[in-house]
Amino acid sequence: MTQLHPETYREAARKAIGDPVLQKALAGLQARFGRGAAEAYRRLPEGPHLRHTAHEIRERAVAHLDVLLERLAEKIRQNGGHVFFASDATDAVEYCIKVARRHGVRRVVKGKSMVTEEIDLNEKLAAAGIDAVETDLGEYIIQLAGEKPSHIIAPAIHKTRYDIAELFVKNMGIPYTTDPPALTRAARKALREEFLAADMGISGVNMACAETGHITTVSNEGNIRMATTLPRIHMAFMGMERIVGRLDEYEILLRLLCRGAAAQTMATYVSYTAGPRRPEDSDGPEAFHLVVIDNGRSRILADPRFREILYCIRCAACLNVCPVYGKIGGHAYGFAYSGPIGAVVTPLLTGINRARHLCQGETLCGACMEACPVAIDLPRMLLALRETLAYGDAFWKTTPANPLEGLAFKVWSRLTANRRTWECFLKAAALGQRLFPKKGNRLRRLPPPFHGWTRKRDFPSLAPETFLARWRKNEIEVAKDIP
Amino acid sequence: MIPPDQKAFLGRIRQALGHAPHESRNGSHLFMQGPSREELQILERYRQRTAKDREELLEQLMEAAKPVHLCVRRLPDPEAAGAAIAALVQEKAPEPDTVKQVVAWRHGLIDGLDLHLLPEQSAVRVHRTPPLDPLMDPARRHAEREAQRRAIAKAHMGVTAADFCMADTATLVLRARPGQPRSVALLPPVHVAVITLDQILWDMKELFALLRWEARFAAQGLSRYMAFISGPSKTADIEATMVHGAHGPREVHLFVVASAPGRLQYVGQRSTFSALTK
Repeated sequence: MTQLHPETYREAARKAIGDPVLQKALAGLQARFGRGAAEAYRRLPEGPHLRHTAHEIRERAVAHLDVLLERLAEKIRQNGGHVFFASDATDAVEYCIKVARRHGVRRVVKGKSMVTEEIDLNEKLAAAGIDAVETDLGEYIIQLAGEKPSHIIAPAIHKTRYDIAELFVKNMGIPYTTDPPALTRAARKALREEFLAADMGISGVNMACAETGHITTVSNEGNIRMATTLPRIHMAFMGMERIVGRLDEYEILLRLLCRGAAAQTMATYVSYTAGPRRPEDSDGPEAFHLVVIDNGRSRILADPRFREILYCIRCAACLNVCPVYGKIGGHAYGFAYSGPIGAVVTPLLTGINRARHLCQGETLCGACMEACPVAIDLPRMLLALRETLAYGDAFWKTTPANPLEGLAFKVWSRLTANRRTWECFLKAAALGQRLFPKKGNRLRRLPPPFHGWTRKRDFPSLAPETFLARWRKNEIEVAKDIP
Repeated sequence: MIPPDQKAFLGRIRQALGHAPHESRNGSHLFMQGPSREELQILERYRQRTAKDREELLEQLMEAAKPVHLCVRRLPDPEAAGAAIAALVQEKAPEPDTVKQVVAWRHGLIDGLDLHLLPEQSAVRVHRTPPLDPLMDPARRHAEREAQRRAIAKAHMGVTAADFCMADTATLVLRARPGQPRSVALLPPVHVAVITLDQILWDMKELFALLRWEARFAAQGLSRYMAFISGPSKTADIEATMVHGAHGPREVHLFVVASAPGRLQYVGQRSTFSALTK
């Protein structure tokens, strides 16, 4: 699924911007959730400052990850659950397949989980002969379409009801309808059969609490409750950072998660799982497995510049306010994570050079930081990523993305450092700009390597006379008593 | 014995944090040793709650229930709640894949609703979900479990008793217990929950303070599986149109019983296997 290349990024972005249906859907999504979340933060009894308390909670948790994970694993094992620590995607997938084979699993139902997208679980299960059906309605739709989610919590926003009607007619043989309730009923019926027939349910983890030894999953549809209640086996995948120490800390994060994700005070379903069912229980899975995934996270943890990205709770609030995401949509980001969070975490997980276009594509407007329920300074990290690209970085094995750029800035700093050379440069530039096509006092095209800038806009030309020259002509003296 | 995968994994984390990879760190300061001052206040407020306070909480709950489409009704006693459920059973037509059949938890409060009278009145079957005998032969237990599951999957209405309800967000809190399968609140298109007035709490803070420090609740804690339910299942995945009943119930009704006979109070909290199969 991974399509990390500047060219595919540009191509996908261009396509998205030219797609009126997607543009309308993105605008609607941002208007609703973006503003809704800000409003929901304001209404918190503690006020929006709670985001900063949450930031401290996450900071403390990430600084003590080893202690918290140890406690969680111990508690879950006490309750009869299994915990596996996977150092990378391969480890995690192999463990899943091993458990599935041991229990004779043929059919798997899945609740929405970004980390399983990150490790390409569905494809690898399919290669091992195990069918995994996505059960979140949006995920189900895009799975039928053979596509990838384009938003963390609204994965199918790029699909119209007409697209969905066609998909359902083709795949379920239902009579054609474009009525959302009727389409939802059809999916409910098809997926109910999957839930009841499945041998294994796979979920993500929204947040774990070390003190009590629970993992929590959050959903509005109830599909995750189904997937973790009906099949014989429940396997939950969690990025190693998705944990807090205490229940009162967890309480704050859950409230912020619901607000950030969907401007809700509480999601419809929040489930706390500590282990498998007991013999006297009528339902629930007989086996519970928790897979804790590193997959590059410990590397991020080791760098204080980027450790903060591990505070993220994957609510997608930053997507809902990002002006770049709002135009290019999720697919352009080419990886499980899109929007501002994707622009920072994808390069760190997959290689900064390889995914450099993502951090370069954002605007640094800072909206994401204001929207983040745990107040993560995403713009700072976007800049830090660009810094590793500008100068190279031994820890991240980054090579300067464009060595000429560094040279150009050196020349520029020389030019501007000396009054004489600066004025000479201005004179030369004023003469030189006559060579380029003009419209009014704006240049239509710049020569390479600056031509990209004028592809869609004009460049202001130099005034015939500099400000200083005019100032002198008017014989106005600079007041001497200005301190 | 620490498994090798865990040892290597946590070692990498410790190293990344600047500690020796095998040094197990003391983390007791990260966890609570006793209730905080805020929690003590919350517990005190809970213990001092008067009948009037409880009615106010119910009002708050009804307000919060509106936007999430949870239907809340106050009923004077269990008999009235039983009658209200019977009326609801009559009113609700089964979905195409369900039959007019009720499945109800084995629980003190529900036992007091006289649901067994329903069949006589309306020819609607009421399935109960007794706890399974852990000493029973596994094959028989499996068969019994499957039978319960079939009944739950077919029923058009599930009746449960929540442990608590948080007024602030209109959230039902259900903890796992034998005889109280979670799928009863999940598979049938209509979910009916019954609580007593004193089970309404203010918010999540109060809930967690009780589950941690109030002895009669803290014994079970969050239990092995706890669910928060705030209204019916919903989705907005098709063109952002809100549709109820995506996977779980399309309707959720909460009946608040104002006064229940003393023996029913908190029976949910102490209902263990032995207590239920006496």
